[in-house]
Amino acid sequence: MSIKIRMRGKSKAGVAEVKALIKHPMESGLRMDKKTGKPYPAKFIETVEIAVNGETAVNAQWSGAVSANPYVSVKVKANSGDEVSIAVVDNTGAKGSSTLKLK
Amino acid sequence: MKRRSFLKGTLATGATVVAVNAGLLTPTTVLAEWNSKAFTSKTTEDALSGIFGSSSTTESSDIKLKAPAIAENGAVTPITVDATAISGVESIAILGSKNPMPLVCEYTFAPAALGFVSTRIKLGQTMNVVAIVKADGKLLKAEQEVKVTIGGCGG
Repeated sequence: MSIKIRMRGKSKAGVAEVKALIKHPMESGLRMDKKTGKPYPAKFIETVEIAVNGETAVNAQWSGAVSANPYVSVKVKANSGDEVSIAVVDNTGAKGSSTLKLK
Repeated sequence: MKRRSFLKGTLATGATVVAVNAGLLTPTTVLAEWNSKAFTSKTTEDALSGIFGSSSTTESSDIKLKAPAIAENGAVTPITVDATAISGVESIAILGSKNPMPLVCEYTFAPAALGFVSTRIKLGQTMNVVAIVKADGKLLKAEQEVKVTIGGCGG
């Protein structure tokens, strides 16, 4: 099961704001199941990589304290027609990626 | 957890592990290894030393930290850190001072990126949100209190 990501981005005067919405529970491992008294197992995205035309622009590391179904937005130097991609990996090894051609 | 989704999850994880072992999934670039020491630190100072190697910071008004004064739902607190006014931004970290593990996220920028991050984070209670910007080897800090009316960790 790969992680689903939706992306949007638009370049304006050489700078593009890239927005991504990732479908992921982001379970921190601290939340308790009230019925059993045991914590829900941790499942959260650990690394995020955003690249422009295949070259890494932003590398991020997350903890379980990023909200569920994370939204992230960054600004990169890119022109219209450039390809922006995002790749994520969570602590269980599940991966997801998405690519967008900038308008 | 429902039986069906549990099975699905187990199968998917199993398949990924096999694929990784066989060297089938090679990332395009080697992702930096997750800094477990910094992310599991219980205090802001430890988290900063873990990720930047130093916890001495200077307040900077050049960092624009946008956070709500009152968050109705701490589980989704929108945070924007705009450090585009600073030159040579290498990384940005966001911390919640009273979270069980304060370090929330850390972004490292290549020259092709601007020092700007907008995201949503979980806050367990009323606390200060801290943004640390590393620029030219120096650690700059901006802080803002966010009042949380409902806890963010579902406790």
